[in-house]
Amino acid sequence: MLTIGKFGIRFASATAIGMLALCATAATASADAVVKWLHLELNPEYVKVWRSIADKYQAEHPGVKIEMQFLENEAFKAKLPTLLQSGDAPDFFYSWGGGVLKQQQATGALKDISGKMKEDGGAWGKSYNPAALKAVTFDSKISAVPYKMGTVSFFYNKAHFAKAGVDAAGIKTWDDFLAAVKKLKDAGIVPIAGGGGEKWPIHFYWSYLVMRNAGQQGFDAMKTGAGDGFVAPEAVKAGEQLAQLGKLEPFQPGYLATTWPQALGVFGDGKAAMILGFETTEAFQRRNAGDGKGLAGDNIGRFAFPVVAGGAGKATDTLGGINAWAVTAKAPPETLDFLAYLTNAENERMMAKAGMILPAAVGAEDGVTNPLLRESAKQLEASTWHQNFFDQELGPSVGRVVNDASVAIVSGQMSPEEGAQTIQDAVEMDKM
Amino acid sequence: MTNISATTAIEHAAGATRVAKRKSPTARGRLPVLILFLPPALLLFTIFVIMPMGEAAWYSLYRWDGYGLPEQFVGLRNFEVLFKNGAFLTALKNNFLIIVVSLLLQIPLAIWLATMLANRITGVVVFRLIFFLPYVLADVAAGLIWRFVYDGDYGLFAAVAGFLGVETPYVLADKDLAIYAVLAVVVWKYFGFHMMLFIAGLQSLDKSVLEAAEIDGATGWQKFRFVTLPLLGSTLRLSVFFAVVGSLQLFDMIMPLTGGGPFNSTQTMVTFLYNFGVTRMQVGLGSAVGVVLFVICVTLAFSYKRIFMRHD
Amino acid sequence: MTETRTAIRMSAGTKIYLYVSLTIIAAIVVVPLLTTALGGFKTLGDLRVNPFGLPAEWQWSNYTDILFGERYWRQMMNSLIIATLTVFLTVSVAAMAAFTFAHVKFFGATFLLNYFLIGLMFPAATAILPLFIRIRDLGLLNSYWGVVLPQVAFGLGMSILLFRNYFRNLPEELFQAAFVDGCGYLRFFWHITLPLSRPIIATVAIVSFVASWNSYILPLIMLNSESIYPWPLGIMVYRGEFGTEWQLVLAFITLTILPTIIVFFLAQKHIIAGLTAGAVKS
Repeated sequence: MLTIGKFGIRFASATAIGMLALCATAATASADAVVKWLHLELNPEYVKVWRSIADKYQAEHPGVKIEMQFLENEAFKAKLPTLLQSGDAPDFFYSWGGGVLKQQQATGALKDISGKMKEDGGAWGKSYNPAALKAVTFDSKISAVPYKMGTVSFFYNKAHFAKAGVDAAGIKTWDDFLAAVKKLKDAGIVPIAGGGGEKWPIHFYWSYLVMRNAGQQGFDAMKTGAGDGFVAPEAVKAGEQLAQLGKLEPFQPGYLATTWPQALGVFGDGKAAMILGFETTEAFQRRNAGDGKGLAGDNIGRFAFPVVAGGAGKATDTLGGINAWAVTAKAPPETLDFLAYLTNAENERMMAKAGMILPAAVGAEDGVTNPLLRESAKQLEASTWHQNFFDQELGPSVGRVVNDASVAIVSGQMSPEEGAQTIQDAVEMDKM
Repeated sequence: MTNISATTAIEHAAGATRVAKRKSPTARGRLPVLILFLPPALLLFTIFVIMPMGEAAWYSLYRWDGYGLPEQFVGLRNFEVLFKNGAFLTALKNNFLIIVVSLLLQIPLAIWLATMLANRITGVVVFRLIFFLPYVLADVAAGLIWRFVYDGDYGLFAAVAGFLGVETPYVLADKDLAIYAVLAVVVWKYFGFHMMLFIAGLQSLDKSVLEAAEIDGATGWQKFRFVTLPLLGSTLRLSVFFAVVGSLQLFDMIMPLTGGGPFNSTQTMVTFLYNFGVTRMQVGLGSAVGVVLFVICVTLAFSYKRIFMRHD
Repeated sequence: MTETRTAIRMSAGTKIYLYVSLTIIAAIVVVPLLTTALGGFKTLGDLRVNPFGLPAEWQWSNYTDILFGERYWRQMMNSLIIATLTVFLTVSVAAMAAFTFAHVKFFGATFLLNYFLIGLMFPAATAILPLFIRIRDLGLLNSYWGVVLPQVAFGLGMSILLFRNYFRNLPEELFQAAFVDGCGYLRFFWHITLPLSRPIIATVAIVSFVASWNSYILPLIMLNSESIYPWPLGIMVYRGEFGTEWQLVLAFITLTILPTIIVFFLAQKHIIAGLTAGAVKS
């Protein structure tokens, strides 16, 4: 009975449904070019700055409309793969670069804009910090416009450190750090604000420890699967050190359910002495603090992630984001024009002045006026190896496992060996 | 097969015991009615049910990100990867655990309440309504409500712990506890439905048998154990069936509660399919999960049919 | 214990045991729901120190902000549109097919019926990825139809079965009389079968409506714009956006489940009967 071929049915269904679909299709025909911008910024002040740039652009370019769409971080990561396959894909969206971006590019979902970047002797491409541009280039193709750079480091509450008698300048090694944690605890202060609920804030620790133990070459070997991959002794050692920290119970109670904004709030409320966070920590602790003010800028200090004894990594190796705006395949040409505008030196300088970003645009550095942000910028300039976030670098599937494993190790729910093994399993599953 | 259970369900609800008649007269215009009435259902069903299932079997042999056509044939690699994956094994285990809890906890609870509420006691209607209420709520809403209940900072658990002076448990953040927290919500949401089935079953029982047992001097428990329970056999099988089907497709409730975490400890087969297949667009792997789920469903349906047929 | 007469002779001890047990379980059911509704009236601080009790100060604005906002109504509307389309299509398509199975003898009828019954055996989630690709290729992603059509298709097996069994039990004499009078199948279906089948139409409609109203996984995968999100999806977005501002999330939950609860109490008899009758696939 059912001998109609696949295509027969496809055709039949297409016609049958086509009629129905007609009623549902919204009228989108319009002479104007609409550029759809998908972001995940929860901070309304940031969105306001972006909107004002977009409005200014619209005023200068009649006929172009910039539409902003918002998805919350977790929903964004879950939805993006299906979204990119649909006709509703945004024209450009927030990206952390790395393996995730590379994979998106490999599927053909993104536009190759390297031609545009190289026009006029590469004028557009050269307007960005070379490291930032390199982070979005795969197989000499570029699909994203660099936006900002960042670095993760420790921020501390100076008053708490003074009270516990801890000298931040003296924290050079992991053992120094653990000793400081103990001292703070003895002084009755919660040493660290941790955001275990979202997991990725904890993966900073594991990432940095791996970097400090293995160094750049060692990490590259792990990544490419040379030798033992992520069950290499350096990775297991990083896990052991993380477990050591976990045993001291350094985080606020219930940190396993704490989200990142909450963790920033804990730090901002003075309920914890340290936080391992982004360059923008000062601004965000203020926003998330209970009183909306948080710690005064001059009460916050900053120090780089310590080195480990006998590790191949240097103190000047940095972990941090290189963020960019990824352009999708069907984006109208106006998208590129707007992105060039959004990330030009002038606008990036303005955003840097607002304390929003460390700019990726060349010539916008002088916008960084906030002292803490300046310190981060300096660290970045002196970086001997700037590594993107592991959960982005290693691609979506492995990245999530890295996050899971980091929390599992620090909370003692998994041994360092088990943790390393689950990550390696994920790498192998990804490769298969 | 499930058609039998559906029929039974209707008969339970409606109390109908009419025997189906089968001998339709023939009228004119047979062809037009066939041409007009069958194709819509046939098309919809074929396009959106049968073909996707067939395609799942096809895609499951490929590594494919959904773009273009599946070209990278990997044989049974997807299945191999699946059965070596810790999260998937946990998902299988959890699905099984949900079934076990249904059998050992939920159904006895439902029977116990049904025996109380099959009586015409004061307030019977109100209790029945209250117990059935969670069943009509969406799984998503139930999941969110319990996410709040379990919240270690604001939730009811925090308050109870504070009252007892113990440290607040963050149950949903604990990989050993989270699945039990999920199971509690499953029981909370579905026991009322099973209870209703049993009330319907109890009310259709032949009263004279119980009276006879009473005359023979049977105690309450004896009556229940040796008369009522055996007579409830078909309702019991129906209830078990729903518990199994419900467990296999559990997804909506898990997403707001835990999303399958922490550390994949609360994955079910469908959340695994979503988290590893859909959100990473691993069409091959996700389809392989679908195939495994399909095989389990069909196996259960047929074994259920055999057991069912033997008894009735 | 299981029959009326023993109930009347219940001792005081049994009574206490009965009501205490029932009340405890009723409390376990109701307390989370009540605290959710009450929590919506609190401030976050109040919620933290006092999740059980009445609000220290009734924050009506939590609720009114949602009610006067556009978001809540849009989501309810979307859910309603999707559910109505689903119910209408399911009832009409399934009733027509079931009619042929019940009253028209044709070659392969048994085979075809069994074909539809395959649909009873597995949930939509099983084939969700191929379904996504199908809907994408048909250009129906992010449209109501992208959710409605798979929902209808997966409800067909069950609905056809319910309809067919009911149609076959309609009195035989009707057919004889009608056909003697020269009434064709189509007129018979429209003028006799359907009017006589109100109870079963109600059952199928209730089952498919509730399933659609509560459905999450299909919209989650098929829809992209918040403007057409049904409420289960919308509520998850809301929670993602407002994170730990539980008082707002609770108010939102309360308002979204309120219609269900109201309808449930108004039409409880039909709903309980309908859902227990057709729960195979909910």
